[in-house]
Amino acid sequence: MMLEVKKLEAGYGKLQVLRAVDLNVGRESVGLFGPNGAGKTTLINTIMGIVEARSGDIVLEGKSINKLKTHEIARAGIALVPQERELFPGMSVADNLELGAAFVPRGKAVIKKQLEMVFGLFPILKERYAQLVGTMSGGQQRMVAIGRALMAKPSLLILDEPSLGLQPSIVAEVFERLAILKKEVAILVTEQNVRESLKAIDRGYVMENGAVVLEDSATGLATNPHVISAYLGI
Amino acid sequence: MLKKQSLPKVAAVAAIFVAIILWRPTVLIYGLQAAGLYASIAIPMGLVLGIVHIVNLAHGEIMMVAAYSSYMLCSWLGIDPYISLIPVAIITAIFGFIIYRLTIRQTLKAPELNQLILTFGIAISLTQLANIVFTSQTRKMSFSYVSASMDIGELSFGIYNFVFLVAAIVLAYGLKFFLHKTVAGKAALAVGQNPRGAAIVGIDVDKTYGLIFALACALVGAMGAMFITRSAVFPSVGSPFTMKSFCLIAMAGIGNIPGILGASVLLGVSENFLKAFRATRGWADIVFFVLIISVILGRSIRGKRA
Ligand SMILES: Nc1ncnc2c1ncn2[C@@H]1O[C@H](COP(=O)(O)OP(=O)(O)O)[C@@H](O)[C@H]1O
Ligand SMILES: [Mg+2]
Repeated sequence: MMLEVKKLEAGYGKLQVLRAVDLNVGRESVGLFGPNGAGKTTLINTIMGIVEARSGDIVLEGKSINKLKTHEIARAGIALVPQERELFPGMSVADNLELGAAFVPRGKAVIKKQLEMVFGLFPILKERYAQLVGTMSGGQQRMVAIGRALMAKPSLLILDEPSLGLQPSIVAEVFERLAILKKEVAILVTEQNVRESLKAIDRGYVMENGAVVLEDSATGLATNPHVISAYLGI
Repeated sequence: MLKKQSLPKVAAVAAIFVAIILWRPTVLIYGLQAAGLYASIAIPMGLVLGIVHIVNLAHGEIMMVAAYSSYMLCSWLGIDPYISLIPVAIITAIFGFIIYRLTIRQTLKAPELNQLILTFGIAISLTQLANIVFTSQTRKMSFSYVSASMDIGELSFGIYNFVFLVAAIVLAYGLKFFLHKTVAGKAALAVGQNPRGAAIVGIDVDKTYGLIFALACALVGAMGAMFITRSAVFPSVGSPFTMKSFCLIAMAGIGNIPGILGASVLLGVSENFLKAFRATRGWADIVFFVLIISVILGRSIRGKRA
């Protein structure tokens, strides 16, 4: 198993958000759905060590990462594309990509291959290599964030609302790229745009009020009456 | 991006400088020398502000600690301050790292006012400690090379203090190279721009803060060792430099290290301009208040318009 989340509880101050969340990701692409405020970002930030877990365990490739700091979790092989992108706005595309790989122990040859892969996925990043990231559009910045995450050749790629704030045409494009990527890396992706993301995932979870309420295959979710009425909007 | 607007400004500044050169060359000479000292002390403080986001009001006092350390080393071992520079830089780096770990680190997430009060408290403690250990007596060493001078026609002036200008240029462009061309420097810059983003890519933010703070202390420590070649040392010798450094950084804009060099030239030349006349000599010390107020007012007015 790539990632195992066991009975995870987390929150902010007096507010408990996650309630005994169980979630697994194998060598596959997994979706995490749910309304705004359900706790998807909190779950991802807890996995990444940004929010502290109150109880439960998080296991990456057999090793508990529950007590590690964010930078140690990154070095252990999880790459995150945060909801707010969290790029380095005053630095070029080149520097942002370089930093994606600089602190994760990977060989030079791997980094070179990953850079070619990123350019293959997002040719615009090659054209804009020297441009300051802060001067790019939201969609382009999203591509930089995905590219930066891929540079370290992660074993698990987590994307938090990758389509947020993107034009519909670009959303389709991003999920097309994710469908290609899932052959190379395990993926956990949260989305409000369930319809588009179902094309790029194998399995999915639905979270409501901080708890997992449903888990099924992509086709199972697509035909589930609750999912259809609440998320596919018919 | 401001090319079109800044061209006339640059031309105007250049014209004023040429006029001053022709009319009172020493204003420019001594102004540049003072600018070098101001900038080389302010730049490390700007580094800390740009990356750790801490206004270190004990910055000048760390230079004072370095100046005393250098004074002690030189008088005990009979060495030159330039030889003491490296051990002193190491001492202040360790000293700074300890201060960071014990105090500043605990306030990183606290309101800015708490951080200001903390570093201000450290400044006062260091000054008082120096008072107790070294007394308020001023200490001065003299070195023959300090009196080096140059004659151009009728004009004769001291040239030694140009070392501070050289130091400032080396510091500004050395740091610029470090931050933009090396991986460690880019990581530090990334931490300054977005600490959470930096942690996500595997950068140890806490360690980076500590190392940058220690680096800044090492650099201002080296300046403290050079400082004793030109000035006397006493417990409160550092505090005006804290004030001036802070003003220069504010004038340059946070994160703009070469800009500190430019702001220092403006301050140094303006001060020496006023010192050139008996009537305005006493005004030299308030020049930097006038400059800082006009820069901040100018920026606010421009901000309002935009
Ligand atoms: N930094 C924070 N501090 C306090 N409460 C937060 C914070 N971030 C999120 N929350 C709260 O936690 C709950 C879950 O939010 P979030 O994890 O962002 O949900 P989602 O990503 O599913 O939209 C919400 O009630 C939200 O208001
Ligand atoms: Mg969210």
